[in-house]
Amino acid sequence: MKLNTILRLTSGAFAGLLLATVQSANAFTACQVTDLGGVDDKSFNETAWKGVQDAVAKHGIDSKILESKDGTDYEPHLNSMVGAGCDIIVAVGFLMGEATQKAAEANPDSKFTIIDFAYKPTIPNVLGQVFETDQAAFLAGYVSAGVSKTGIVGTFGGINIPPVTGFMDGFAWGVAHYNKVKGKNIQVLGWDPAAKEGLFTNNFDSLDDGRAFAQNLYDEGADIVMPVAGPVGLGSASLANELGSDKLKIIGVDGDWTVTDPTRKGVYLTSVMKNMDATTLSVIEMAKSGNFSGGVTAGTLENGGVGIAPYHELSSSVPSDLAAEVEALRKGIISGSIKMN
Amino acid sequence: MKKLVRSQQPINMTKAHGPLIAGSFLILLAIFVFILFGFGVEGEATFRLSRPSDPYALPNLVLPAENFIGIASLIIAFFGARLIVKTPKEYTVFFAISFFLAVAAFLVWATAGKSFSLTGMLQATVVRAVPIALAAMAGIMCERVAVINIGIEGMMLAGAFAGALFGSIFGSVLGLLIAITVGGVFGLILALLVVTFRVDQIIAGVAINILVLGLTSFFTSHLLKKNPHLNDATVFKAIQIPILAELPIIGPMLFRHNIFVYLAILIVFSTTFYLFKTAYGLRARAVGEHPKAAETLGISVIKTRFVNVIIGGMIAGFGGAWFTLGSVGRFDEGMTGGRGFIGLAAMIFGRWHPVGALLAALVFGFADSLQQKLAILRTPIPSEFLAMSPYIVTIIVVAGIVGSARPPQAIGKAYVKES
Repeated sequence: MKLNTILRLTSGAFAGLLLATVQSANAFTACQVTDLGGVDDKSFNETAWKGVQDAVAKHGIDSKILESKDGTDYEPHLNSMVGAGCDIIVAVGFLMGEATQKAAEANPDSKFTIIDFAYKPTIPNVLGQVFETDQAAFLAGYVSAGVSKTGIVGTFGGINIPPVTGFMDGFAWGVAHYNKVKGKNIQVLGWDPAAKEGLFTNNFDSLDDGRAFAQNLYDEGADIVMPVAGPVGLGSASLANELGSDKLKIIGVDGDWTVTDPTRKGVYLTSVMKNMDATTLSVIEMAKSGNFSGGVTAGTLENGGVGIAPYHELSSSVPSDLAAEVEALRKGIISGSIKMN
Repeated sequence: MKKLVRSQQPINMTKAHGPLIAGSFLILLAIFVFILFGFGVEGEATFRLSRPSDPYALPNLVLPAENFIGIASLIIAFFGARLIVKTPKEYTVFFAISFFLAVAAFLVWATAGKSFSLTGMLQATVVRAVPIALAAMAGIMCERVAVINIGIEGMMLAGAFAGALFGSIFGSVLGLLIAITVGGVFGLILALLVVTFRVDQIIAGVAINILVLGLTSFFTSHLLKKNPHLNDATVFKAIQIPILAELPIIGPMLFRHNIFVYLAILIVFSTTFYLFKTAYGLRARAVGEHPKAAETLGISVIKTRFVNVIIGGMIAGFGGAWFTLGSVGRFDEGMTGGRGFIGLAAMIFGRWHPVGALLAALVFGFADSLQQKLAILRTPIPSEFLAMSPYIVTIIVVAGIVGSARPPQAIGKAYVKES
């Protein structure tokens, strides 16, 4: 890890040169500072940038982007964006929380929005975007419980922190709801939402762990596994691909993995999605129309901020009445008639 | 009094005190096991011996938890008492059995009222030990000729990257060969730096780690992310050894793996044979212990070091390819996850002997797969602590053994040929 830091420090020096500027002709400019991983990370940076690009296409605004190569880039990048006269600055990721707060407090006239972070107390010129991933994971848990042939499903996480365990909570609650409704006893391995304890790789980069952990859950009888550890889950998908999707299915997280990982698309039952593009677009629209105010906005099933991906290749394994029940559940959660836990 | 007299003989010091300390230790272990696991434990621990994918069905191993832990601690205490009263010849056997029983008691305690797949855990032990054992072999090849190789992690990462990239283009077999070659190239670079230019060995190794991390990160973001088809290698499929694979427990554990596991075992034994049964191995060890004496006898220190370090690099490259071609079929930044460094620890724990290092790697693999099972079983132990346990085991074994392990004498020293 230390080596990583040294390396990123050096490469961070060059990152400042990567400012992609679009000639400013319009009145409104939306700017994004990415977290580590780059704008083509097939994950949150890319999804948030898509939201900015959607706003560009829809409203003819301008956009700028700066990619962070290291945690030390956050502050200078945010300040360059302030200096560049951006009308709204999108900071991507929980890790940028502190830097965004500093920049926002130093520049009270600039508007900021940050993904995965909610300030307490709120800052008047920052709108935090948080995602109730447990709502979408609840649906994934329910559909998994219905599809599982062994009666055992599993999950594991990267680190035991709320942005990760939110997925796992919802998944376990969804299975519990299925058991309650159907009078069944489908088990969840790897996470206990009451005790807040479970199975964790304690990293987000060792893909080999993803394979080993999925193998372990499979050995214990699980035939559907939801890995909540970023790319580590691709290792689990590799195992599922080898065993065949009739033996092991994977549930993706953040984006629709059938789309982002087409080489193994046959193993993804569904994905629990955080639609950062939709929420980012709506925040930009708020800022453009003058309705922007600081605080927190939550991505929910209701506003499309979270959701589950289509069943794609495995839609034949999801009976139509189960799919209809999931759709009814979605509406129930939105209306508040269904309590998740 | 008798013991006191014996301890006055300087040569037998450790032998005289050893049994007493060991015996007391075992009795303490017995008390520890009994109090910690024996109290309030109820139900039966079920270990599943066959898995759903197995062609046969074995009955489950069911152990009544309370009785098992009680009996286990009694046996350990008996062994301890036996060691104190009269030192039997099978001293180490007693110790090994006691440790096995303590671990078993812990497992039974954790599993009481539940069940898990024992066969699956043992198979995972072997799989997880493979990259560590290979890293340790790479370390042994280098350190036996007195070259410290901190760069194994980097060499493995390079092998993993080359395996994924070239495996995607040319197929897995050629990808594997290129990964081994790339590892060898980095071995050559290390040898050039430390043997020819006499750069500090630690610094040279760290430089290789940083260099590879930088290169692979660069090519991942600029090449692989934009061309996903270049990061989609076919993983080597498991080969079942006829008849042997059908054996209960042992079959899935040892004979149903992909080529990496079999070759890793082969590498361990051929390294042992090379180092201890061939003239070349003897020369290599001489170079590591006393290069000047070796040179006097006509052995080229420089050439021997070059050859061994390059072979070490090739083994590291092979170990790295395991991550991509033997496991997940794609490369991601930093995916070796420090296994190269754990391999170095295994090398020291194994006292610079290939078989010892293999056993050390298996200890780590066992701790690693055990912690996963315990997390699934939801024992009262916090998951963070469980995840630490493989590293704790590594620290304990290295710290506990390092006093008596002796590295090659000339290690870390550059050789200057006198002319």
